[in-house]
Amino acid sequence: MTIGEWAARLRYRYVPDHVVGEVLGRRWMDNVIPVTLLIALAIFLATAIPNFTAVGNISDIARQIGELGLIVVGLTIVMLAGGIDLSVGSNFALANVTALTLINVAQWPIEAAIAATIGVGALVGLVNGFLVGFLRLRAFLTTLVTLTLIRAVVDLLLEVYSVRIATGTVDSSLWDFVGAGSILGVPFSFVLLIVIAIAGHFVLTRLRVGWRIMAVGGSRRAAYNAGISVPRTVCLTYVVSGILSALAGTLYASRLSGAGPDTGIGLELTAITAALIGGNSVGGGRGSVGKALMGTIIVSLLMNGLVRLGLQNGASSMVIGAVLLMAIAIDVRWTRWRQSLRAKVYVSPGYLALPRAPLFVSDPSSPYAMNDRLRDVEVIGLGEVDGPEDVILDPDGNLYCSVRQGDIVRFLAPDYVEREVYAHVGGRPLGMAFDKDGGLVVCIGGMGLYRVDKLRKVQKITAETNRSRLSIIDDSRMRLADDLDIAPDGKVYFSEATIRYGFEEWVVDALEGRGNGRIIRYDPTTGVTRTILRNLLFANGVCMAHDNKSFLFAETWACRISRYWLEGLKEGTTEVVIADLPGYPDNINRGSRGTYWLGLAGTRTPSYDMAMTMPAFRRRMARRVAGDEWLFPNVNVGCVVHFDEKGGVIETLWDGSGDNHPAITSMREHRGYLYLGGVTNNRIGRIKLADVDPDWTGPASYWGESCWGTRR
Amino acid sequence: MRKRQIAVAFGFALSLTGMAHAVAAGIDDPRRADYFKTFEGKTIAFVPVTMGIDLTEGWAAVMKKQADRLGMKFEIRDPHFSADAGAQAITSLIAEKPDVLVVHNPDVQSYAKLLKRAEEAGIHVVQINMRSNYNSDVYVGADWIGIGEAEAQAIVDKCGAGTSGKVAILQGQPTSGSDSGMMKGADNVFSKHPEIKVVANQAGEWDATKAHSVISTVIQQNPDLCGVVGFWDVMDLGAAAAIKESGKPIALVTSGGGEQMACDNVEKGVFEKEIAYQVMDQGRDLNDMIVTVLESGQQPGKLKAVVYSPQLVISKDTLRPGLCWSSKDLKK
Repeated sequence: MTIGEWAARLRYRYVPDHVVGEVLGRRWMDNVIPVTLLIALAIFLATAIPNFTAVGNISDIARQIGELGLIVVGLTIVMLAGGIDLSVGSNFALANVTALTLINVAQWPIEAAIAATIGVGALVGLVNGFLVGFLRLRAFLTTLVTLTLIRAVVDLLLEVYSVRIATGTVDSSLWDFVGAGSILGVPFSFVLLIVIAIAGHFVLTRLRVGWRIMAVGGSRRAAYNAGISVPRTVCLTYVVSGILSALAGTLYASRLSGAGPDTGIGLELTAITAALIGGNSVGGGRGSVGKALMGTIIVSLLMNGLVRLGLQNGASSMVIGAVLLMAIAIDVRWTRWRQSLRAKVYVSPGYLALPRAPLFVSDPSSPYAMNDRLRDVEVIGLGEVDGPEDVILDPDGNLYCSVRQGDIVRFLAPDYVEREVYAHVGGRPLGMAFDKDGGLVVCIGGMGLYRVDKLRKVQKITAETNRSRLSIIDDSRMRLADDLDIAPDGKVYFSEATIRYGFEEWVVDALEGRGNGRIIRYDPTTGVTRTILRNLLFANGVCMAHDNKSFLFAETWACRISRYWLEGLKEGTTEVVIADLPGYPDNINRGSRGTYWLGLAGTRTPSYDMAMTMPAFRRRMARRVAGDEWLFPNVNVGCVVHFDEKGGVIETLWDGSGDNHPAITSMREHRGYLYLGGVTNNRIGRIKLADVDPDWTGPASYWGESCWGTRR
Repeated sequence: MRKRQIAVAFGFALSLTGMAHAVAAGIDDPRRADYFKTFEGKTIAFVPVTMGIDLTEGWAAVMKKQADRLGMKFEIRDPHFSADAGAQAITSLIAEKPDVLVVHNPDVQSYAKLLKRAEEAGIHVVQINMRSNYNSDVYVGADWIGIGEAEAQAIVDKCGAGTSGKVAILQGQPTSGSDSGMMKGADNVFSKHPEIKVVANQAGEWDATKAHSVISTVIQQNPDLCGVVGFWDVMDLGAAAAIKESGKPIALVTSGGGEQMACDNVEKGVFEKEIAYQVMDQGRDLNDMIVTVLESGQQPGKLKAVVYSPQLVISKDTLRPGLCWSSKDLKK
């Protein structure tokens, strides 16, 4: 190894290039700008204004935050569902007048007056919600009209009641408490806001209705197609906004008792500014109550600071306007910029030097030497299956395969002509294995580990493992569960090819050539899922050894087969079984007489091997060249490798003509035949084997001759 | 060499004149030093309804002049017509503890609790022109009931027998300290004059544009309108425009700060009459009361003084140069 290679290896092993892209992909990145802004603003105001951080001032700001915050939370909920509520300011003023009229003039009991006020707010929200949600009017224009209408109602009410409100006095400790009281030194309105914010956060993130709101905001059409009542959900958000505005108006009424005509004028702009600067998206679907609170705090600090800095006429409005513009710009630009930057830097190739590949074309004495043994393969289900990644047979000889449509397709023995969809599991079903009760356990790309029982009921086994401590992307979710096998004690060992990409992006993972894969264990007795091996190069086939003391697993981009010891002296360690395959290994399955079958999905090429030692080149390629022009690993021609317990290659089966099975991802031996599957094939192959045990079956090998009541 | 000689001679001459002064020494006023010490470093905070209008700019200018003279700090917090922003400003001022808080209330209710809190926190509260329901140390301002009566009387004189007797009242904001007083004054007079019919009583919210739309609507509804009682000259310019557009001889009586604009408009016949409270004099009154509360050494909330500004009637009969003050001169 030259010093240059050695340096490249070190550099690509220890510099975490992949982190940048992963950080940019996190949802909490939305909060970076508001948090920075908040900290900067707080520092500026604290230094520029004496006493700004005094307890009294903080407490007063908190009281104002309480009122504005309620409105912003309501508005945020509307915005999350993709709408906008401009009527919040008028609704706030209406609540102010209503509460004051009921209390100061009509002398209602405080509780009843507050309840009635909130009812009025809800009614206004319902009108908005009905118009926008059910009649599908444009939210912006509709609420602009209600803004004006309600303002007119407020003016009419003021004309009648304002003088009487101003002269009426209330002597109620409850009313005083609402307006000026504190709980443990924290202003009541702020406490109320926090309670409502927590409740709102819980509803949005944990309850069905919250998810529906997010779904509608994310994509109305998709939400509708998913069966969500879009009108009702949209309407609901406006009602919530109306209620919260009314609540804020009530707090304002109790604080100032002033029925001025300026109440709530321009408040909608302040609220929108707060919602946006907090990082909520105008288009909906992206945002949170936490963001609303942060935006409220930023805007409140700013407004308080501007008043205290003694800015002249209109200057504060100008600053708020400028902040709003900035917020909109950030909302649009930052998100886009982040996405495009992430797309650029997410792919981070590593350094991978593979051992020299055995010569399989030019060296006829090699165990991998090319031949034409698959030429006379019998074809099953030609054109009836789309990409049978894995095939498996039950004791009765029925043939199951996992296809692209998310189905498990079954061909019935003995002639494999009759075809049926055994079960629809969804996702992209890949590796399969029978458990001791005859249930078919399936790894499903994009979903996790599932089981189809003999009554064809589909059940999730697990889709979540323990999260690694230092991983930035959430690696507890399974993105690409690939192949599995089951130990006699029922534990399922399965591979996840990569934690950074989905099934369709396998080629990007190949380009990276870094260890993104892992092996996960599911323990049915405890129900616990744990990752046992990490940093594997596209962990693929998994197969229990014949003695069940270890399992073999394939790492596709590393072109090697390893063994992981489950018991014995080497328990918990990994050793390489075949280090230098000529191609990219896929599934490994048991064969008769203590052997194993391995599918090579493709063969190595010198150019690609060399590219794997040039990460900078691959990075440049990924950034500058369109995906379909990339240097691809060769997955056009592969073969079947038959090997023994020690990794010695017994034979290789090639399809020299490339007509039927050039690329093979899985194969199963059953009663003297070998059944072949390929992830890009439109057929299943069957070929008669010589030199094998003609009675050997997979289920019997795992679960005994009389497993799950076979007929024999 | 020569220069030094001149300098010495000059110094000698100076010392001679000094001796001459020493001979004519006056008597020191023992209270003078204390007087200036009382104000040194004190802070006056002013929360108007808005800046940028003749009244608040005038008061602020006069107060600032005295504050500068006496070494006091003078601060303005401008809520720009927002009662909420004003309440915020007062709330934070309570935390900052200025020595005197001069407040121009947007209405009688909004700041009442806050002003009480401010006095409890040890801040002298002076209310200017628009009072609140809470009576603080000092109220300086117009006698609104008196102004209301004077305005109403002017309209009664104009719209008596031989006219329709139809009158519109254009309030600013009904819950403000000024409007509630003026309404009371107008009622006092109109109730004795059954021939006057009040056909409209609406609020223009201190906004000339709104006043314009209110009065043009009233004129359309009552083409034979005889007079308008306006509550603030700046806003009433909008009403005047509506009257001018209608082309009808409708009398507009107003009240205001007696700025040059008022005199000009009375001269042009736009205003029939303005019952004015003179802003410069009010500023003087404010200054005197600020000095008084600070010198008194009393706890805030004890004094409860009221200083009504005298009425100045601006009409064609009283017009003379120098009757009105000019906000242009404030900067000089």
